[in-house]
Amino acid sequence: MREITATVLENKKIAENIWSLTFSAGDDIRIRCGQFAMLGVGGQQLLRRPIAVCKAEGERVTVCYQLKGEGTRRLAKEYKAGETISVLLPLGNGFYVKDEEQRVAVVGGGVGIFPLISVIREYAGKKHISAYMGFRNKRALCMEYEMQRSDKLVIATDDGSVGYHGTAVQAFMEDLEGERPDVVLACGPTPMLRALKNAMTGKGIPVYVSLEERMGCGIGACLVCVCDRTDGKHARVCKDGPVFEIGEVIL
Amino acid sequence: MADLSVSLCGVKLRNPVIPASGTFGFGREFDEIYDISVLGGVATKGLTLDARMGNPVPRIAESRGVILNAVGLQNPGVEEFLKNDLLWLRGKTRVLANVAGRTVEDYALICAKLDGLVDFVELNISCPNVKSGGMAFGIRPETIREVTAAAKASLKKTPLIVKLSPNVESIPANARAAREGGADCISLVNTFTGMAIDIEKRKPIIANNTGGVSGAGIKPIAVRMVYEAAHAVDIPVIGMGGIACAEDAVEFLLAGATAVQVGTANFTDTLACPHIIEGLNAWCDNHGVKSVSELTGALKLN
Repeated sequence: MREITATVLENKKIAENIWSLTFSAGDDIRIRCGQFAMLGVGGQQLLRRPIAVCKAEGERVTVCYQLKGEGTRRLAKEYKAGETISVLLPLGNGFYVKDEEQRVAVVGGGVGIFPLISVIREYAGKKHISAYMGFRNKRALCMEYEMQRSDKLVIATDDGSVGYHGTAVQAFMEDLEGERPDVVLACGPTPMLRALKNAMTGKGIPVYVSLEERMGCGIGACLVCVCDRTDGKHARVCKDGPVFEIGEVIL
Repeated sequence: MADLSVSLCGVKLRNPVIPASGTFGFGREFDEIYDISVLGGVATKGLTLDARMGNPVPRIAESRGVILNAVGLQNPGVEEFLKNDLLWLRGKTRVLANVAGRTVEDYALICAKLDGLVDFVELNISCPNVKSGGMAFGIRPETIREVTAAAKASLKKTPLIVKLSPNVESIPANARAAREGGADCISLVNTFTGMAIDIEKRKPIIANNTGGVSGAGIKPIAVRMVYEAAHAVDIPVIGMGGIACAEDAVEFLLAGATAVQVGTANFTDTLACPHIIEGLNAWCDNHGVKSVSELTGALKLN
């Protein structure tokens, strides 16, 4: 976990409302797949934005974000190559695949596909990866070349403009009988994760989900980003997560 | 190299910079980023007699120059803090145990458990985000006097700080009430009650609907209130509200504060407190100030 002043190398639009920002962390930084960074957007926005790391190679780190409000619009507008940006990283637990888990399915929707791309990049060639990636439509589709590192790729769109017509969860469930994975890793909007939880109940396959919540400090001190655990306690999404076993949390 | 140490109620602090309650947990997470023994002290997350779950999420929102929060005092309870965190934290820096209760008796009981074990107790009678207790005690002088006196009666060894709410009619009257109740020190301001609305959903962003406003945007109001409190009572004052750099801290010291707390800035920059400490040293050196305590109350009104 480090507080750094990073240098922006590239910040560009890669799909409708989606931007990709690559920065240099100064020196090599080890980031697990599924971990995230807090990016200071500056100006009058005092809170940093928690954004999943999509790629990490040596000192180069790429995060992808959706333009949603004033903060992310500022991020897109103000941080051109050469600018510096305040970043805290790497944060959270990230995804782990156990040695005995050979067949890995990743199921992503919306901006949830980006932490899963970091999973594909980490385990490609080491595990058998089937990726089910959901987008709203063709205009939202991006980073296909990264997803193609997986052994099997199904792209799903809500309107059928590319690939499977339906959600990533539906596409995944259709394949489940034929090719049973040892573990499922997922990230996406809460309704999508809920659908996955319902569909996977009783299947005996471990499912890990990465959650999203409004954050304060990003390191587990302020207790702003809690989620409900099934044992009645709270977990901190930033520190205890963002990745949880699906049965451990209430979605 | 200026002398940054300050004396607060007879307790020496390495420097006047203390992370504010609720933004810093019990210090362990920040200690993974920097050695928190550089701090003047740590104001702990608000402690209650029993563990509390806090409010539903979202607990945080943003508006230009400020943030809003309504965590609702989620904490493991005072016993867990004593068992798991106190020894570690005391080994690092001065401990200001922030405490909250639902009743006057709660406050007295928690104080009794902490007496002699922490460097200060900071009485939170100003939390705007819980339904009972919290701010309910911090609005009127009579209840401030009563809860302060009850806490003080439980504290034989540890100095008592009373943390005032800004959501009140008169800061001087409330500061005097705390003094009359037996407070050894006053800290202010807690957050201002506010609301931020998601106009698409036509709903408040925070699940609790309202939240406490903090951050750079509240600073001038906080400075004025610290000035008022410092001139109403003869006990030391800890100032806070929007401090993000050394120059901000100097403003509070000039207004009458002996020490300062830093809250929201810890979210914008995890190194905010060490940066402010380094900046204070540089500022003092550049201005021929030998001891930071010379600045306290050195304001010259127009």
